[in-house]
Amino acid sequence: MTPPRVAHNYERETVTEHPRRSDVQAAERDLQLRTLCEIHSPLARLIYLAGLRDYNTGLYHHEGLASRYSEDAACEALADCHRLAFRELLSASLEEIVGHLESYMGSTATAPADFFAAWNTLRPYQVAVPAQTDSLSAEFLFSNLKVALAILESRYQGHTASAPAA
Amino acid sequence: MISFLLYIAVGLGLLILLFLAVFRRTPRAEGSAQALLDARQAVRKLQTGLLPSEFVNTIFSDQDWQYVTATTSLPIQRLFMAERKRIALAWVGQIRRQLICLQDFHRGHSRHFAHLNPGVEIALAVDFALLRLECRALSVLLHLRGPYGASRIAGRTAAAASRLCETTEQAISFLTSRGAVRVTNDSAQGGAQL
Repeated sequence: MTPPRVAHNYERETVTEHPRRSDVQAAERDLQLRTLCEIHSPLARLIYLAGLRDYNTGLYHHEGLASRYSEDAACEALADCHRLAFRELLSASLEEIVGHLESYMGSTATAPADFFAAWNTLRPYQVAVPAQTDSLSAEFLFSNLKVALAILESRYQGHTASAPAA
Repeated sequence: MISFLLYIAVGLGLLILLFLAVFRRTPRAEGSAQALLDARQAVRKLQTGLLPSEFVNTIFSDQDWQYVTATTSLPIQRLFMAERKRIALAWVGQIRRQLICLQDFHRGHSRHFAHLNPGVEIALAVDFALLRLECRALSVLLHLRGPYGASRIAGRTAAAASRLCETTEQAISFLTSRGAVRVTNDSAQGGAQL
């Protein structure tokens, strides 16, 4: 009884190591239609997709997607979408990045002061880049986000200063 | 006394040679798989990461600077300028490093290429030297005038580096399996096989 099991495992391993491109594309379309179309800002998409990545293995997990396709097709689809969100954000102008950051901050329902404090100290965007990203591209995005954060913070400080005391 | 000074001078000379031998770059087998791999990586990094015109334009176009000057205070303008200058300098530095890698590959590769065209090789060496010089000049300009003081030169440097990448790609393709098969098929029957 042992040989068939070994053969089955081998077959499964072969399939899981190289998911078919058509499966990956179908999973990508599914992800776009069901989930990512609701997240309009590429910054929010970048952070959402980075959150689906296991820090220890670098693999992406999405229960729903994995159950409809395979674990590996889902993983590759998520990785592709993550890279796409990164490229979109990389080619955005500073003005657009400020807009994306403001929209993301609004979607978190965090107090602006807490948001700025956390983002200035923890810099969560630094762990949100896809694997094997070119170091200069990542550095460029971090730099733009740093400036965008400063612009947004100064705007909010201006609002707070101009608002009448309660 | 003179002979003593002579001994000291010879001793010092030997000491300098020893230091040079110790601190020189680690020797590597020319034409090795590692050299080929490094060259491929350098070409890929240049073509996909550093040289795409969209990326170069985003760094050196003054669109962001116009937005910053129109809407923000002086400290943020200074922060932006410092950040963009740092990125621009890092960009030139990385291009220069990848060019050195490609030049090393060409130097090693040319020793194994039987049908060398001296004219082409000299032109290539001159292109590499000029481009590295241009990178140095661009670094100095970026230091002095900031990221928007040398955007034209940056564009020209990127275009020249792209051309050298294409030349390197052609040299690399010679060493791929397709090239090896072609050589095998050309061999006479009973001849040596690769």
